[in-house]
Amino acid sequence: MDFDWSDDDLAFRAELRAFVAANLPEDWAKISSEGPGGADLVAFSQGFCEKLAERGWLTQHWPAEFGGRDASAWRHQILGEEMWGNAEPRGPRYMTVNWVGPSIMHFGTEEQKALHLPRIARGDVVWCQGFSEPGAGSDLAALRTSAIRDGDDYVVNGSKIWTSYVNHADYCYLVARTDPDSRGRQGISAILLPMDLPGIELREIPGLLGKKYFHEVFLRDVRVPIACRLGPEHDGWGVVTYTLAYERVGAAHYDRAARVLDAIAAEAGRKGLLESDAILERLGEARAAIEVARLLTYRVIDLREKQSPPTPDTNLARVAGTWAVRMTGDLLLEVFGAEGLVYGSEADAYFRLSQWAGVASGTTEIQLNLIAGHQLRLPRE
Amino acid sequence: MDLDWNDDQRAILDALRVLLDQHAGQERAAELARDDAYDTALHAALADAGYLEISLADDAGLLEAAMLVDAVAGAAGSVSIGASALIAPALVGAVPPDPVALARAGERGPVRFGAHAAQVLVDDGDEARLVELGDRRGEPVETNYALPMGRLPDPLPAGRSLGAGSSARLRRLWRLALAAECHGAMRAAMDLTARYVSERRQFGRAIGSFQAIQHRFAECEVRVQGGRWLMLEAAHQGAPAGAVELAAGYATRTALQVFNELHQFTGAMGFTREHPLHTWTLRLQLLRLELGGPGMHYRQAARVRWGRAARGGTR
Ligand SMILES: Cc1cc2nc3c(=O)[nH]c(=O)nc-3n(C[C@H](O)[C@H](O)[C@H](O)COP(=O)(O)OP(=O)(O)OC[C@H]3O[C@@H](n4cnc5c(N)ncnc54)[C@H](O)[C@@H]3O)c2cc1C
Repeated sequence: MDFDWSDDDLAFRAELRAFVAANLPEDWAKISSEGPGGADLVAFSQGFCEKLAERGWLTQHWPAEFGGRDASAWRHQILGEEMWGNAEPRGPRYMTVNWVGPSIMHFGTEEQKALHLPRIARGDVVWCQGFSEPGAGSDLAALRTSAIRDGDDYVVNGSKIWTSYVNHADYCYLVARTDPDSRGRQGISAILLPMDLPGIELREIPGLLGKKYFHEVFLRDVRVPIACRLGPEHDGWGVVTYTLAYERVGAAHYDRAARVLDAIAAEAGRKGLLESDAILERLGEARAAIEVARLLTYRVIDLREKQSPPTPDTNLARVAGTWAVRMTGDLLLEVFGAEGLVYGSEADAYFRLSQWAGVASGTTEIQLNLIAGHQLRLPRE
Repeated sequence: MDLDWNDDQRAILDALRVLLDQHAGQERAAELARDDAYDTALHAALADAGYLEISLADDAGLLEAAMLVDAVAGAAGSVSIGASALIAPALVGAVPPDPVALARAGERGPVRFGAHAAQVLVDDGDEARLVELGDRRGEPVETNYALPMGRLPDPLPAGRSLGAGSSARLRRLWRLALAAECHGAMRAAMDLTARYVSERRQFGRAIGSFQAIQHRFAECEVRVQGGRWLMLEAAHQGAPAGAVELAAGYATRTALQVFNELHQFTGAMGFTREHPLHTWTLRLQLLRLELGGPGMHYRQAARVRWGRAARGGTR
């Protein structure tokens, strides 16, 4: 057992940090204050990702044949930490390299790989994830959006909701019911849907997380070629679970939380609050929660690097990550006080954008269900 | 980075389990607890097989020592494993032959193994001291908390100073050992209770199928596993300041949660001597109080990380 980074990994992180410091503009806090999907950040992320790609860092963990460098999963995690820790200058493009690309590599046809992977590896494409529907949240298998064969096309009808980045997206990683008589996990397929097809309409849902954050997507008689289907027809649930395993620990929330906690301690110091045992104790406790999230995530990366199939460690890491973020956010507002309520201030940006941690990409309760069943092997009803 | 045991570590663990199956375990612990006895036979078996010296071997260190402490606690060992195999060797470079107690100058309360120890490692603020008790042994106290406890002689003989600043190192090692012992006990208690709630039926179904129990159990699991990694990383890095306080804080706060939850999940049966849960849970109540408890560990962790801004206590 060894918790040390290799010298190469340490050197990479140092080089990356210098690169980030040199390439984030002065008004970065403002640019990033609407989250990875904010319009300014999406625009910024294009050039930034191109620079990462030029250095071979953006998709270094991919196999060389798909534009990667066969780097370890650890290398990609270092990139993830330095990116998410700095409020994610890759914008929504982190998703494409974390799980859209790997899913296409795993399930895609040669044509799909040739079309999508080079663009993702260059960093010049934005994807969104069309999973959730008004009637299908935690119970994703209840989805009803249909994609019915008609000649060489599927005709897609239905709606998706909470679709992050959809207002900027070139493609949607969509799941739909291709077998109209099916229910539950059967009869579902994944579709790589170009967003410029006729019949796709967006509606903004005013929300608490920021401006233009939530959207609903309406799909009316959208014709998409059958060649856009990813993986087996009607049997796409395996594609979904593969994707989710990559998504769940894709973003290194703990790293951002660690940096925010340092800022909280600095602010507490300025205000003389570090004399308070109560504040000190909570700082220590939050730091422990963050370290736990980091290490549980490292276990997932360790297993991924060893080519192990996904284990419940992913769910443990997700729950711990949420606890860490929530604890940090709660303390942040207390220490910054009412200044932290001013829209767009740094404290506000973190707090506002961290409160969904227990909901997005699978709620805490769903993770706990999975831990109870698969890790503790507690009986079903 | 490699978060699995290597072949050497696995071999040590396998052999250790054989020894612990033979010399430790729940029945042995119950037998000893009846008269608050120290497990002299287990201590001797661990010493004879060389385990207590594990951290002094060329190719091993604190990580292997923590692994040992964790395993012995998991087997409900009633020996001063943390002090004997992890703290003393790292602090004085040798393994004391007899049981070792840990104490803090100025605190008079009963301590683990206080009536059985021949030596005491004392946290004296700045300098740690190693005290030979000779024939002035401590007095036993009756306790419900699984490990034998006693009051050390008062005043304690001065003993030998371990050098300026050695108390800080003593506290760091103590915290690491605490985290490892808590983990071993919690893991065993969790596994036992997972089986119990799968078998016990009420309202026509296993109680472990109720979501109210599943979620709370799963939350404990996240914390027990997370705390294990904190402890192992801190051990691997040589028990540095900061990491050990976090590991001890997290482990001891989890200890209380695990105690409360597992005793809730097992109902009245969990409060009997006949049901084995107490073998592991009672000692958690004792461990979580040492060195000031989780609040103190966490405050110290904060002082280490945000030092200049957060001066104050030193412990
Ligand atoms: C910021 C943000 C971004 C998002 N981005 C996307 C995106 O890009 N693409 C996308 O497809 N979706 C996205 N989502 C949607 C997200 O995946 C869902 O919100 C999530 O799966 C939960 O579904 P729901 O909101 O419908 O809540 P519900 O499923 O209605 O759950 C409400 C509550 O009930 C609990 N609950 C539900 N089922 C159970 C159960 N079996 N046991 C115990 N408790 C249960 C939940 O845990 C939760 O606490 C996003 C959500 C957020 C907040």
